[in-house]
Amino acid sequence: MSLQFLADGLVGGCTVALGAVGITLTYSILRFANFAHGEFISWGCYLTWLLAGAIGAWSIASAAALDPLSVGWNVVLAGVLAMALTGLLGVALDAVLFRPLRKRGASIAAVMASFGAAMALRALIELLFSSRPAYLSRELQIAIPIGAGIRVTPDQIALIAITAVCVGALHGLLSYTGIGRSMRAVSENPALARVVGIDVARVIRLTWFIGGALACASGVMLGLVVQIRPSMGADLLLPLFAAAILGGVGSVPGALIGGLIVGLAEAVTVQLVGAEWRTAVAFLVLIGVLLLRPTGLFGQAA
Amino acid sequence: MTSPCKILMVDHLVAGYEPSAPIVNGVSIAAERGEIVAILGPNGAGKSTLVKAIAGLVPVAAGHIRLDGEDITTRPAHTLVRGGLAFVPQTENVFATLSVADNLKLASQALAAPQRAGRIKDVYDIFPDLARQQRLPAGRLSGGQRQMLAVARALIVSPKVLLLDEPSAGLSPKALDELFRKLLEISGSGVGVVLVEQNVRAALAVADRLYVLVEGRNRLEGRKHELTADPGLAALYLGGGNGRAAAARTVQ
Repeated sequence: MSLQFLADGLVGGCTVALGAVGITLTYSILRFANFAHGEFISWGCYLTWLLAGAIGAWSIASAAALDPLSVGWNVVLAGVLAMALTGLLGVALDAVLFRPLRKRGASIAAVMASFGAAMALRALIELLFSSRPAYLSRELQIAIPIGAGIRVTPDQIALIAITAVCVGALHGLLSYTGIGRSMRAVSENPALARVVGIDVARVIRLTWFIGGALACASGVMLGLVVQIRPSMGADLLLPLFAAAILGGVGSVPGALIGGLIVGLAEAVTVQLVGAEWRTAVAFLVLIGVLLLRPTGLFGQAA
Repeated sequence: MTSPCKILMVDHLVAGYEPSAPIVNGVSIAAERGEIVAILGPNGAGKSTLVKAIAGLVPVAAGHIRLDGEDITTRPAHTLVRGGLAFVPQTENVFATLSVADNLKLASQALAAPQRAGRIKDVYDIFPDLARQQRLPAGRLSGGQRQMLAVARALIVSPKVLLLDEPSAGLSPKALDELFRKLLEISGSGVGVVLVEQNVRAALAVADRLYVLVEGRNRLEGRKHELTADPGLAALYLGGGNGRAAAARTVQ
């Protein structure tokens, strides 16, 4: 049996993990499952594609591939800008949709509203960018053998490194900084957080921003390995929730581990059973966790 | 006019979760610097709602709250702590998943950065038990230690007024004794302490002045020695119900 699934699973798992971190953050602080999170992934990827095209048109040199990667500076810069824009998209969506619902204390309404927001955001992508597939890179990359019959492309190595940096930075922010302490406090007890002087509205805005930015990173990673399509984020939603719940809702390291496990499980299934069963894996993982350990690997009982 | 020695003045406050059904109906209380004020009353008298409204957690429909002369009636809850008003809720008053040190660091974020470490050290000096358990998650502390942490957390900002909602609830007599000794020390340093209590005996042991609320309104108020001599206190405090005899014994 080839061990190639390890590399494929790790790369796929990183994409899932970055999205799942956003889901877990939003859930733990805002107490609702945001089904529009997949659309942040799509929007992040499309914004990166749009900005990369604009930067490439402004400076042709920036579009030259950064050897050994398949993309140029334009995509890197566009990705960073798009992370900020997708983060702001999350903040804006909260301001116009979820904050008014929160004031009425209607959390189930927020979940249903997130379905509506997802459809609206996806339809807007189709309206603005059409349904035709797009590509962040058309470069062909030669996979490098790294031993044990495993081959990886330089892009894949970069994606794993980006995930490690993003999750490590977020874990550091949550564990060792004042704003991270405030986010953990709001997650546990918003009323007490107000009593100790935390501006809960600011923490909520920051949560949306971070969740959106990480979803964008996930979208860019996805866009480097598959076609960019309006439904790319929505298709990832089930693995995202499976990973967040497997890791334990509210746990950032849990979402990372959960994402990697889901990615590896999908890759094993593709290799051993068949690609058509890939989608079912996340569903089985989700059911298995809910039956055997509802709090997930690192979650705490409510 | 605000009396210069009144650090907290609550004037004809009307408050409740639903504007159409206020729980507090025109209550007025005041606290001076260095004074312990106890708010008593039967269940449903609106005591907890009153302190939550002062702390900005329950909407105020009418009336005024003044802290050191400044009107804070409509100020958001998270800004009050910087103004010098600290609140210790009755339950879930510490962050159980955060360590003791992180609970205090969180509270210190309301201070300017250079003051934080020094103030945390000051509070550890007041509560040496907490200093020994800095790394322990607050959820693993005993009930008494948690209450101490909640008070320590409130003291980090050097408040002018400390509000406590039933601090004696669930505490052993030993822990209660220690907590109330700390409250006496705190008020002795010039802080106005306002506490809501069901435990009348405990409240009478430390309070300088008492307010008795019934059905969301002021029913009785005065200095402790005046009220304890008042034979009507038990009946007023009880407002009827099964606990009348028991509470009468407590007051005596």
